[in-house]
Amino acid sequence: MSSEPPKPSRLESILMRLGTAGALLAMLGRGSRPWMLPLVLVLLVIGAGMVFLQSVQYVAPFIYMVF
Amino acid sequence: MGALRRAWIGLTGQFAWRLRPAHMLRSFSRTEQGSALDMFAAVESTDRRDIRKKYFRHALDEWRHAGIFRERAREVAGPDAVESGREEAGMLVEHGIVGGRTLFERLGERDFLAFVFVAEADAVEQFGVYARHGLLDAGTEAALERILKDELFHVSYSKHELDRLSEAEGAAAARGAVRRIRWSRFKEGYLRLSRDIGHGMSSLWLLALYGLVLPPFRLFARLEAPGWQAPPTEARSAADALMSEA
Amino acid sequence: MPQVTLGVSALYHDAAAALMIDGQVIAAAQEERFSRLKHDPSLPVRAAQWCLDEAGLSAQDIDQLIFYEKPLRKFERILSTSIATFPRSALSFPRQMKAWLGDKLWTRNRLVEAFGVRPERVGFSDHHRSHAASAFYSGPFERAAVLVADGVGEWATTSLWRGGPAGLEPLGEVRWPHSLGLLYSAMTAFLGFAVNEGEYKVMGMAAWGTPRYREALDRVGRLLPDGGFALDLDHFSHHWHPTRAYTDRLVALLGPPRPPGAPFALLDPSASAAARAESQRHADLAASVQSWLEDALLHVIRHAHQRSGEANLCLAGGVALNAVANHRLALEGPFAQLFVQPAAGDAGGALGAAQWASFGVAGRPWSPSRFRPDLGPSLDEGRVADLVADLGFPCEALPHEDALLDRAAQDLLSGQVLGWVQGRAELGPRALGHRSILADPRGPDTALRVNTRVKLREPFRPFAPSIAEEQAALVQLPPAAAALGPYMTVACPASDRLREAAPAVVHVNGSTRPQLVSAADDPRYHGLLRRMGEATGLSALLNTSFNLKGEPLVGSATDALATLARCELDAVYIGPLRVGRPPARVLGG
Ligand SMILES: [Fe+2]
Ligand SMILES: [Fe+2]
Ligand SMILES: [Fe+2]
Repeated sequence: MSSEPPKPSRLESILMRLGTAGALLAMLGRGSRPWMLPLVLVLLVIGAGMVFLQSVQYVAPFIYMVF
Repeated sequence: MGALRRAWIGLTGQFAWRLRPAHMLRSFSRTEQGSALDMFAAVESTDRRDIRKKYFRHALDEWRHAGIFRERAREVAGPDAVESGREEAGMLVEHGIVGGRTLFERLGERDFLAFVFVAEADAVEQFGVYARHGLLDAGTEAALERILKDELFHVSYSKHELDRLSEAEGAAAARGAVRRIRWSRFKEGYLRLSRDIGHGMSSLWLLALYGLVLPPFRLFARLEAPGWQAPPTEARSAADALMSEA
Repeated sequence: MPQVTLGVSALYHDAAAALMIDGQVIAAAQEERFSRLKHDPSLPVRAAQWCLDEAGLSAQDIDQLIFYEKPLRKFERILSTSIATFPRSALSFPRQMKAWLGDKLWTRNRLVEAFGVRPERVGFSDHHRSHAASAFYSGPFERAAVLVADGVGEWATTSLWRGGPAGLEPLGEVRWPHSLGLLYSAMTAFLGFAVNEGEYKVMGMAAWGTPRYREALDRVGRLLPDGGFALDLDHFSHHWHPTRAYTDRLVALLGPPRPPGAPFALLDPSASAAARAESQRHADLAASVQSWLEDALLHVIRHAHQRSGEANLCLAGGVALNAVANHRLALEGPFAQLFVQPAAGDAGGALGAAQWASFGVAGRPWSPSRFRPDLGPSLDEGRVADLVADLGFPCEALPHEDALLDRAAQDLLSGQVLGWVQGRAELGPRALGHRSILADPRGPDTALRVNTRVKLREPFRPFAPSIAEEQAALVQLPPAAAALGPYMTVACPASDRLREAAPAVVHVNGSTRPQLVSAADDPRYHGLLRRMGEATGLSALLNTSFNLKGEPLVGSATDALATLARCELDAVYIGPLRVGRPPARVLGG
């Protein structure tokens, strides 16, 4: 785009992601595969980590050194 | 930094040209094809009508280079080497568009020219190192020689245009742009490295998770049966369903 | 206040954006035409910006941004499949999860950030519902059955809908990993072509072979008594392998796969007998999968006819772009009338998502109409003229319609191959006279000339003709396919006259894939065809997409001139300008 669109605030971004995570869990709870819930919870935690590391990509390699 | 860079190119080149020459040539071909498109995009975007012809010619050069490298890759790989279907179809995978904006749109005319100058000079340097270390076979060396002539022209015209564009503000402005571009290319290199490490690490983590956590879930999982099935039941109104990601 | 809806397809195959205002499609375009990456799947930021510019709007004016599928359902499918195929999915799991956890799961965030729309204005259709809507709401029927068949969406790979005044009612679906599209794609990869790109090539190659592998394919893709089908999953790996779609068992069944780029020896008189036999085997494989797909689709639409009780059928999804299969469906299928719009693939999903939100959900009044695929950008004449002058191309302005058409016809009749850039760009993969390469189809060497000088296509693929409507008798379009005439979405037998006069646009098996052009739809293009008819008796042109190998259709004026400069086209007509070949100093080298 020729001009940058208004970016959502950090808080708004986090709330959106929480909403997505909630919708995912609710969908699984309602559907025919509720047994996936525990696994998806673990994956969401990893996903949160990945999103966090993307937001601090300059120091990410140093964080990886620790883990 | 220049000497360090040259040493690094020489060192990695030793391995790359020996082990996977066709791969090297294909990746050069992709890069050239990508910069051709960056240059065509600049033709479309620039306000400086006097410079368009140069960008256009430059783009055509890069496009031709991509073809030379691709041909050479085929020769080096031999008739039986398998390309991917995508590659065979000539589909491009990369160029300077980030977030829907071309390199030119992101940088603006002056920094774009500085970018072209720096990238072209780096390429000339890189090819020079390969030639000096005698890493190239005769056929590739000949191909590179044809290309190098154009690259030198790219270096000189971009420098000339950059200086001309910065005339009003003095030579310092042009130098500033070059410095900015070098720094941002360095940063991008670092971020690429960071991303690669991240990809590697998360692959390891996910593979560990796969091996350790997934097996018990295997007991529950079934692939869907073939044949027609009823559509999923929907308790929500169409409007509610539309607003949901699930 | 007008209601502004932006439909978006992205992050899988062909990204596109489509803008509707109060139930009217204002603009639609594929991202690849801007980014120049063929099948570009990235968020269609530029396409969307162009759509808004076209309507004089900005991101704040968007009331609804509708993504074409439900990402979380897709995630559920991918994750549960990984688990069900443990441990074979070991390589694909980390890749898939990286892409999903770090990125695709958060599609809402990405849409909000990329398009500058408030989060509560973002909605999500379903993949197959978007396809179905793009077919039904673009179609000519008051009510119809709608069949969607593609690789896969969220779960559905084939789905049946009933379209009518009440909207789109889902009637049933076949789910992943059983997929008509993925079987065809697996065979596309088996035959050495790029998936989602090379399917046309399989279809083109099929005409050179006989389906002697049909029995083998019937074993790996069984038709079920319920009107559905089942893949034998031991032979396919699309559901667990990160890159390869078939297993060694398929290789054991069918013989070695064709390496990408292998020469096609059937057209090469100097080829050895062994090379010819190998090419014949490849063609036979292509013929077999094509024949399998046609029979499977017939089987499926017979069920669709029974289940829906409708007389007419709309088809969508990538499989619906198989023009040869569409002919069989029209000829042998139970439906009175078919409709397939040319953006049947995922690019059309953007359009369908917006249409579903407008007509299906918001309940805006809708009535059948004649679909126009020219929904994309047009070029600004002044800017083109400037560019042409700046780059030093020879250029001639022909402001009078007659002068323009006379000149173009004269060029074509003298054997020139022309680029033809007129009006708004087409949505979908077909060039329909807006971003086309044209040539006089008569003469034995036309196809070869276009191919070697411009397109560099595989020699076994045919070219298609545009034909003025009044000469529709040049092709034998089945009555049930009458609505497909304008879109090149059906192949049919060529008349003897066309076969004799214009072999370049008739395939080896005597078929052709026509575009019938009416004066009402496209007066300029029709005028050109008419002039060809006046001069030769044949109101037809060879029409192929205006792009070089591996590139998308030309978008900007620079793309058009760059293409002219990089191949041996004789001239490009952009609006009223005739741009000739550039002198050597422009080309450098
Ligand atoms: Fe180059
Ligand atoms: Fe260069
Ligand atoms: Fe699809």
